[in-house]
Amino acid sequence: MTRRFPFFRFNPQTQKKLQRFRSIRRGYVSFLILATGVVLSIAGELLVNSRALVVRYDGHWYFPTYGRIHTGKEFGLDYAYEVNYRDLRARFAQEPAGRNWLLLPPVPYNPIENCYAGETFRPRPPEWGTKHFLGTDQINRDILARLVYGFRNALVFATAFILLTYLVGITIGCLMGYFGGWFDLLVQRLIEIWSNIPFLFVVIIVASIVPPGIGMNLGVLLFIVVLFSWTGMTYYMRSATYREKARDYVHAAQVLGAGTTRIIFKHILPNVLSTIVTFIPFTIASSISALTALDFLGFGLPPPTPSWGELLRQGTSNLQSPWIVASAFSALVLVLVLVTFIGEAIREAFDPKKFTTYQ
Amino acid sequence: MPPIAANSPLLELQDVHMHFPVREGVFLRAARSCKAVDGVSLSLRAGETLGLVGESGCGKSTLGKCIVRLHQPTSGKILFEGTNLAALKPRALKPHRRHLQMVFQDPVESLNSRHTVGEILTEPFEIHGVGDAASRRASVLALLEKVGLPAVAAERYPFEFSGGQRQRIGIARALALNPRLLVCDEPVSALDVSIQSQVLNLLLDLQRELGLTYLFIAHNLAVVKHVSDRIAIMYLGRIVELADADEIYEQPLHPYTRALLSAIPRPNPGGRRERIVLQGDVPSPINPPSGCPFHPRCPHATDRCRAELPALRPAPKLSGHTVACHYDLP
Repeated sequence: MTRRFPFFRFNPQTQKKLQRFRSIRRGYVSFLILATGVVLSIAGELLVNSRALVVRYDGHWYFPTYGRIHTGKEFGLDYAYEVNYRDLRARFAQEPAGRNWLLLPPVPYNPIENCYAGETFRPRPPEWGTKHFLGTDQINRDILARLVYGFRNALVFATAFILLTYLVGITIGCLMGYFGGWFDLLVQRLIEIWSNIPFLFVVIIVASIVPPGIGMNLGVLLFIVVLFSWTGMTYYMRSATYREKARDYVHAAQVLGAGTTRIIFKHILPNVLSTIVTFIPFTIASSISALTALDFLGFGLPPPTPSWGELLRQGTSNLQSPWIVASAFSALVLVLVLVTFIGEAIREAFDPKKFTTYQ
Repeated sequence: MPPIAANSPLLELQDVHMHFPVREGVFLRAARSCKAVDGVSLSLRAGETLGLVGESGCGKSTLGKCIVRLHQPTSGKILFEGTNLAALKPRALKPHRRHLQMVFQDPVESLNSRHTVGEILTEPFEIHGVGDAASRRASVLALLEKVGLPAVAAERYPFEFSGGQRQRIGIARALALNPRLLVCDEPVSALDVSIQSQVLNLLLDLQRELGLTYLFIAHNLAVVKHVSDRIAIMYLGRIVELADADEIYEQPLHPYTRALLSAIPRPNPGGRRERIVLQGDVPSPINPPSGCPFHPRCPHATDRCRAELPALRPAPKLSGHTVACHYDLP
């Protein structure tokens, strides 16, 4: 009898954990809401954008959203820079109906454009007629557009942050735990010294010496934040590796002659990583709030990048226009609360006390 | 299997010491050492079972782990078919590893819960580069059959099995590379009593079928008696008595062996033997007593015992029976 070993299937323990996560309503609903938000923000260009979704002009179809820039001349206007689709629609509306038309996204603004060019800079309150659903900020940019794209930036930042801190932290922590002895002792002392360097001062210093040509872009900011955040993961990984290494299944592999690489990657890491999943939501929450805080203080992403911290800063200095601070604050609180609910649910679902591998 | 000369032992331990450093202070200086195994010499003939018995903490598991080189002994030789394993670097050791395998005490701990049984049993072949995917799969199924598990077991995870079945998986993994020597480190003490005999009989059947040699470590004399040809009694890192299995039960010479034997529950209470209750606890191997390590608890201890370490010597009148005691106790 020849039977095939399964190519891939979820470990039944993992299946059970996922099942229990789904059964925790608050966390699961939060997860669905947040996942919807993430998907919507990824498709942001289709929902919140100054470019039209579809243009029908002169018998041709145009889909400008992800394509190249279309100049005004292409649509019979008299300028050679990017066409303003809102004006274009107004013009099409005056023409005899049916021939030329275009479809704008629900929110027809992008996050960095001045929506009232030529007029005075002042925050404008929410208004449904002009489709500024959350109003504009102090330099006439649409707040909803800035919120959506700011959320996307925060997500990119959080994802990259998690990947990098976990990569560095897990690698170093695992090596410390596995090799122990002098290596462990030395690296641990270095980590203790390193984690005592005040993070904010370093950010301020770097922000002031980075050449203005480069600026504090996402990469530089990420590098600095990761540089001071990887240490936390090493503490957990170090002790978890110590614990796993002393267990008999590792000894059994050693008796069989397995090498260090095999033991770390096939035995220790898979057993440790399932716990690390429970940390991820909390890391997301902390990295989003860290980015927001840095932006709020003005050491974050360079203008005009849309960011929640920058909106909060505008909002607190324009308290007479409460819609700015209200929308930024609500969005931040909502996301952090959702992420925390998800984190709690995952932790509950993965709790080894409720579901022990070794019953 | 290559022929082994009848008189040359398969495994010979010569004065093996395993001292663990006890690290102290900021710089982890090895201030003292824990003498877990303190000068053990033994030999195992091919095809026999040597039972190694002692209380917990006497160093019997450490000795087993030295033999399979989970620990590098501090000093002494471990001669396996003439090769001194204790002196080999990990790379040179790897080809020898397939001849010595280990069955662990707790099958829950010794099987990686994230791998299927198939993956667990394939691993030995992967490590030693034996065969291709198809032949490995066939070998896994043959192993499962050998230990009495169904072929579908390969696709399941260890925690889907009972304790006895899991121990069978552990035994199958140890047998994968056709070893000559199995170090069984209390293979049944974590199992239900009703399962113990099944696993023991499996080990005995496999030994008969495959010509295996066992070093059977246990703290339970009743279990050891069932499987062993010879029995060594260990106390505080040393062997205190070594004899044929039947003989050690009939004529125990060392006072410690007598105390151990008297602790075996007997089917007829009120029988002839009296229970010898030892005073005190096992001394710490970090700071062992002077002279004979057993003297603080020995009812027959004299000044000589307190000063002088007894060597393992042949017992008078009994062949193949050695004991580490200064006196021939009646």
